[in-house]
This record gives sequence, C-alpha cells and structure tokens, in this order.
Amino acid sequence: MNKHEPMSHEQASELLPWLVNDSLAEGERDLVHEHATSCVICRRELHELENLRDSISDVSAATAIPAPDMRRINARIDALIEKENRGQLLLANVREFFRSPWRSAFAAQTALVVVLATVLLWPQADEPEFTTLTDPQKLPEGQYIRVVFEPSLPASDLSSLLDAMNLTIVDGPSDRGVYTLRLSATLSAANRDAVVTDLSANDGVVFAQPVPSGVQR
Amino acid sequence: MTRSKAGNSASETKAANELALVDAVMRRDRGAFAELYRLYHPRLCGYLHRILSNAAIAEEVLDDVMFVVWKDARKYRGQAAVSSWIFGIAYRKAMTAIRKEGRYQSLLDHGADVNTLPAKASHDVELIQAALVQLSPDHRQVVELTYFSGFSYQEIATIAECPVNTIKTRMYHARRRLKYLLPILAGADEEQNFEQA
Ligand SMILES: [Zn+2]
Repeated sequence: MNKHEPMSHEQASELLPWLVNDSLAEGERDLVHEHATSCVICRRELHELENLRDSISDVSAATAIPAPDMRRINARIDALIEKENRGQLLLANVREFFRSPWRSAFAAQTALVVVLATVLLWPQADEPEFTTLTDPQKLPEGQYIRVVFEPSLPASDLSSLLDAMNLTIVDGPSDRGVYTLRLSATLSAANRDAVVTDLSANDGVVFAQPVPSGVQR
Repeated sequence: MTRSKAGNSASETKAANELALVDAVMRRDRGAFAELYRLYHPRLCGYLHRILSNAAIAEEVLDDVMFVVWKDARKYRGQAAVSSWIFGIAYRKAMTAIRKEGRYQSLLDHGADVNTLPAKASHDVELIQAALVQLSPDHRQVVELTYFSGFSYQEIATIAECPVNTIKTRMYHARRRLKYLLPILAGADEEQNFEQA
C-alpha cells in the first residue's frame, strides 16, 4: 500500500479492531488513524470498540485461572518417553545384527533355505561339507570369508552373529583363531563384501577378509 | 506488530526466549518444557476456558495442546512466532472440542426470538460473556484472539490457517452481531431489573 495514499473507509473500518488492540504495523496504523480523525463513522466505531476492549479486559480478569498442574502431562510424557526408549532399544538390537538393508530382507528366508538345503542335500553330497585343517583341500563351490573373533566374545554372541548374517562355519578355529565361514548361496560377491565390511565393523570381530575363489584352505 | 520501540525490544526478547525454550524442548529438555508450560498456561487456560465455556474441558484440552508441543517440537521450523504456533494447535484442538461437544449453536443461527435470550445482570462482564456465546465459533475465535489474546490479524490468519481477508470478514460479522446483541441483552437486563423493582 502506498504510504501517501489515504486509506478508504472500508479498508480503515475493517482494521479498527486491530488498531484498538495495538497490533497494526506502523504504516498501517498511521493510515487508519489518519482516516479515523476525518471520518465521523470510524471515529464513533473506534470509540465503541475501545469500550468493548475495556469490557473484555474485565471479562479476561474475571476468568478464573487455576495454578498450573503438570502431573497429568508429565505422566503422559513419561509414558511417551518410555515407549520411545523401548523402540530405540529394540532398533539398536536389531541394528547390531542387521547392519545393512539387504540382510534384513534376506535373513529369515535364506536361513530357512540354508537349513533345508543342509538337511536335504548333505547325505547325497559327494564332498564332505566339513573338513579339518589336517585335511587341506580346495574349498567347495561357494563364497567364503576368513574371520578372527575377539577372544572375549561369548560363544552365544558368536553364534547369534553367525545366524544373523547367515554364515556357516566350515573350518576353524585354526591355531591363530581363524575361522573359515561360508556365506549363504543366494548372495552375490557384492553382498559378500558387505558382510566383510559389517563384520570388520563389529566389536566382536578382530579381522575379516574374503577368500578368493578356488583357494586352498 | 509495531508498538513502541521499548515495547518492540521487550517483545523481541520474549520471542527469542520462547524460541530458545522450544529449541530446548526439541532436544527433549523437560525443564525447558516445564517453563514453556508455565509461561503459556495462563494465556491458554483463559483462552480455552472462554472458548469452551467449561473449565474442566479447558484444562484437558490445554494438556492435549502442550502434549502436541512436546511431541511436535521437532516439526516447528520457526515459520511462525512460537505463540502463533502454540495458539494454532490450541485453535484446532478447541474447534475439535467444540464440534465434539456440539454445544455452540447460536440461538440466532436458529432463528430464535431475541426475547428468549437470557437476561443478564448489569455487570459488563456477564453482558459480554452472554453476547460472546451467541457468536459462531469462527467469529468468536477472532474476537477472542484479537481482544483477549492481543494477536494481529496476520497472526490470527496463521493461527486459523486461513487468508487475512477471511479474518477481516469474520471480525466484521462478529462486530455487527455484537452491536446487535449487546443492547438487546442490556435491555433484557434492564427490563428484568425493572420487573424486580
Ligand atoms: Zn471511515
């Protein structure tokens, strides 16, 4: 609005309530004032609105305001925080084992496939699945990684970690504590590298490395 | 809002303080939340009490409002003043409560004879209250937020999530209705006093 252009009656009239409650911006306030001084209708209206404002402030003073009581809302917030914390703890536990997105999707399915394949195919297999260090030979077809676990890692944690990542111990531990682990058959080489990365980042793992295909144990 | 320079800097300090409190609430600071709650309790309580005409429901709704403040502090991006944000939540909660209660049906909206309006005592306070309950919730909110809570029309538009022209129009109708109602209510009161005398 042009500051030098006077305000119309309609414009000024509709802004009177906010002139009365002193919330108009400076320029607008001056324009409304300017109009009201020369307009009988607006001047009368302004006077009425000021009376209304004063009466309303009496109503406001008459409204009984109890002292703030935060007991109910505190209880609600406590409950919310507890719920959030439970959710976060669960999430942290899940993250601990399922660090990359593909694993969570395949974990349950591949675990089932591995178990079934082991149960159904093992008796017919030409080569024994498990070999020992005293019987060095080429690893069967598949993807493998070598891992050294933290000596302090409890056996149950080690077992959970292997389950979560669909890893099967095919050899080890060696004298130096090296395990040879086989990955789920459904995983690609990229997935194997991701498993290695995740294992390397795990506090219970000292060392993890992929085994190039066709390498002797 | 442009008031005196001293008033301006005071309101700026107040706004900065409120912003800092919301920021702390966002970081889950219970102490800051308690301070914000105590700061807004009187204003929200008065507003909700008058809009809902029921102290118990007002207290309940107030807690609902502040619970949303706690939960949604992270969503507050400073796009509006803290007071407009909090009153916006209160406005919507109040409107929901009004709809749920279904009690704010103006007698005039239903073509009731003005003679059936309740007679009130001569105190301005009761007269104004009697007139305000006769306004539609939308009109009453604008009057309430302007005269009781001191918001600018731009702030009310933000609170009610509607264009500023809608707010001006609502106020225009509310003023016309109050102008019509107040003398009637005052007259009914005088008649009653006359009969009693
Ligand atoms: Zn005028």
